[in-house]
Amino acid sequence: MSVTIQLKVNGRPVSAEVRADTMLSTFLREQLRLTGTHVGCDTGSCGACTVHLDGRAVKSCNVLAAQAQGREVTTIEGVTPVDGSLHPMQAAFKACHGLQCGFCTPGMVMCAIDLVTHHEHATDEQIRAGLEGNLCRCTGYHNIVRAVAQAAKVMGR
Amino acid sequence: MSAVQPLIGRSIERKEDYRFLTGAGQYTDDIILPQQTYAWFLRSPHAHARLRSIDTSAARAAPGVLAVFTSKDLAGIGGLPCGWLIKSIDGSPMKEPKHPVLAEEKVRHVGDPLALVVAESLVQAKAAAALIEVDYEVLPVVVDTAMAAKSGTAVHDMAPDNVCYTWAIGDKAAVDAAFARADHITRLSIVNNRLIPNAIEPRAANASYSRADDSYTLYVTSQNPHVERLLMTAFVLGLPEHKVRVIAPDVGGGFGSKIYLYAEETALVWAARRVGRPIKWTAERHESFLTDAHGRDHVSIAELALDRGGKFLALRVHTTANLGAYLSTFASCIPTILYATLLAGQYAGGRLSRCRPSGSRVSARAHRRACGPRAAHRSRRAAPAQLHPRFPLCQPCRAQLRHRRLRSYPQSGVGFC
Repeated sequence: MSVTIQLKVNGRPVSAEVRADTMLSTFLREQLRLTGTHVGCDTGSCGACTVHLDGRAVKSCNVLAAQAQGREVTTIEGVTPVDGSLHPMQAAFKACHGLQCGFCTPGMVMCAIDLVTHHEHATDEQIRAGLEGNLCRCTGYHNIVRAVAQAAKVMGR
Repeated sequence: MSAVQPLIGRSIERKEDYRFLTGAGQYTDDIILPQQTYAWFLRSPHAHARLRSIDTSAARAAPGVLAVFTSKDLAGIGGLPCGWLIKSIDGSPMKEPKHPVLAEEKVRHVGDPLALVVAESLVQAKAAAALIEVDYEVLPVVVDTAMAAKSGTAVHDMAPDNVCYTWAIGDKAAVDAAFARADHITRLSIVNNRLIPNAIEPRAANASYSRADDSYTLYVTSQNPHVERLLMTAFVLGLPEHKVRVIAPDVGGGFGSKIYLYAEETALVWAARRVGRPIKWTAERHESFLTDAHGRDHVSIAELALDRGGKFLALRVHTTANLGAYLSTFASCIPTILYATLLAGQYAGGRLSRCRPSGSRVSARAHRRACGPRAAHRSRRAAPAQLHPRFPLCQPCRAQLRHRRLRSYPQSGVGFC
């Protein structure tokens, strides 16, 4: 059974027909071909699929595309400046070696942006707690926490 | 003359970070090819069962389905090879049972693939797979590594006691003599538990065949595409190597699990020619748990012989290593060459390490797969004879323990942190 949805994705209006049971992650990756959002698990555990829905981090594998009707979705592609520069969070991850294989990275960055935006002066403990829903197999997390703390300073948070 | 800045000592930023950070990486599942079709594997829910019959007729007639393949369709191709042939102590070659691409006659672990469905969409492929009727004769399971040789149930007919090989390294006579004269012997039972690598990116493949020049292209999450191509073309599919191009794009972690030649991409390459369109497959996380090569799963008895002064005289280790339901490409070398040769660490002293790993097979209820190099990598830090500070010589305080270890370093003074 198909439904038509109308939403904004990275600032642009989108109108599409989707199967009612299509998850937002599948819609973004396969229909809109925004493949920066990744799928790493079946259970909403890994967070590689994290995007912003109306400015708040959600796991897009756990959101039906139809639930995004009338709302604004921002993906990793959408937080990247178009002029080739980097969002402060992205720049901090780069400077702090907060990524290796890169597969968890978009989800990690999206979650971290939400965290820093909505929690002023986040401590290391709060950063670690806030990123609990994002798994990384490569880095061991320390550099990610450093990156988020560094970005918070740059972002005036 | 301008000074050239040396690279040593400088912090060099990586080149790949920009695309990973901005969502512009290209991982295998990101690739969708023109005329793409989607694959789904039907997998055994049983750890050990005979396949009495497989009826794919309803699946083949399901909406969107292009083909359903079983091992009968793959008759004539080879099994997935084990690339490291070990000899037992008595000189006999190890047992090397066939590892079929799709299960023939028996399934030997939960997740063992027995059918491949190719359809216009993943949803249709999964729906069709549910229509495949399989008559399983469920068999007893072997799930305990330590007891596998005594279980009475053979996972492979050619190994009635589930033992693949019994291998050893070292000087048995000298080690036994050292133990006989030792002032102190410490004996440890150690279980190095099984690991599931769980790279965040699941395994994936996208295979296509070009009739224009009779060539194949495979995108796959491989740590070593050249090895992948060699093994697949020479040992399984019997294709000229130059006719198959294997591309590993950005890969989201491997940790050893993406070293091996797996059934899924092999089946896809074979099927791409039959179907005539590109075929795409990505593991779901539960499939990763079940079918990625696992690591470790060793049960060991380690013994250390010491003299009165605490100097190490000899090390004797007996390890039973679970190689899994089937041998992965390098399964047999993990608990032998990549493990036993490391046991002595940096310690000198007499004749070290008589190690007898005997690989035995376990058809595990929830797990599968032979050891990967992960096992060896970890064993460098966790092998019993790495003489972790907890190795209980008696009840020494830390200073005494360190002193004892230092006395056993090679004379060359190679340090150890």
